[in-house]
Amino acid sequence: MNAEALVHDYLRRLEAAATALPAGRRAELAGEVRQHIEMALAEAGARDEVTVRNVLDRLGPPDEIVDAERGADGPPPGWTLAPVQASAPASSPWGAVEIAAVLLLTAGAIFLPIIGPLLGLVFVWMSVQWTNRQKTIATAIVVLILFVPIILALGVGSGGAPTSGQLSPIPYLGA
Amino acid sequence: MDVALYLLLIPLAGILAAVYLVAVMRRRRK
Repeated sequence: MNAEALVHDYLRRLEAAATALPAGRRAELAGEVRQHIEMALAEAGARDEVTVRNVLDRLGPPDEIVDAERGADGPPPGWTLAPVQASAPASSPWGAVEIAAVLLLTAGAIFLPIIGPLLGLVFVWMSVQWTNRQKTIATAIVVLILFVPIILALGVGSGGAPTSGQLSPIPYLGA
Repeated sequence: MDVALYLLLIPLAGILAAVYLVAVMRRRRK
């Protein structure tokens, strides 16, 4: 389920739980919760599925919000942004997959040329911490730097006899 | 292209990508 669908599903469950409230108050509550979610996501600086789930978890089940709304005039506990922010450092985004990806992209590139960075990219795409856009940018960086020179060299090489400026490794290893 | 230069590009590519991903992660935690 994507991030927008998660928010939509949460609000739908909230409205279903709030049927006991007056219609006006129910709509107002849904608007307040939506606004709170948007603010928490803006504060988090990301809208990926993990962040949305974290924000919704901090809000608590829709039933509890409705119960708190019926039992008190003030906002339900957990509505302030502080708990969301305070909990973020506790759950570090660095898991084994993310650490492996960065190690393979850096040290792996030195000790396992070509294979290291490619394996690193596999781990990057396995991670749920980076968005698809961020994964695509990281992949583009590696692909552009690694493969464009090869393609250019092969393109130039196919046009004539090899010269010292082309990718033709063997003659230059001893040079 | 000189092979030595290309061999230098390999770690550079990985390191640049890693720096970008780490920066993204740090920015998200702020």
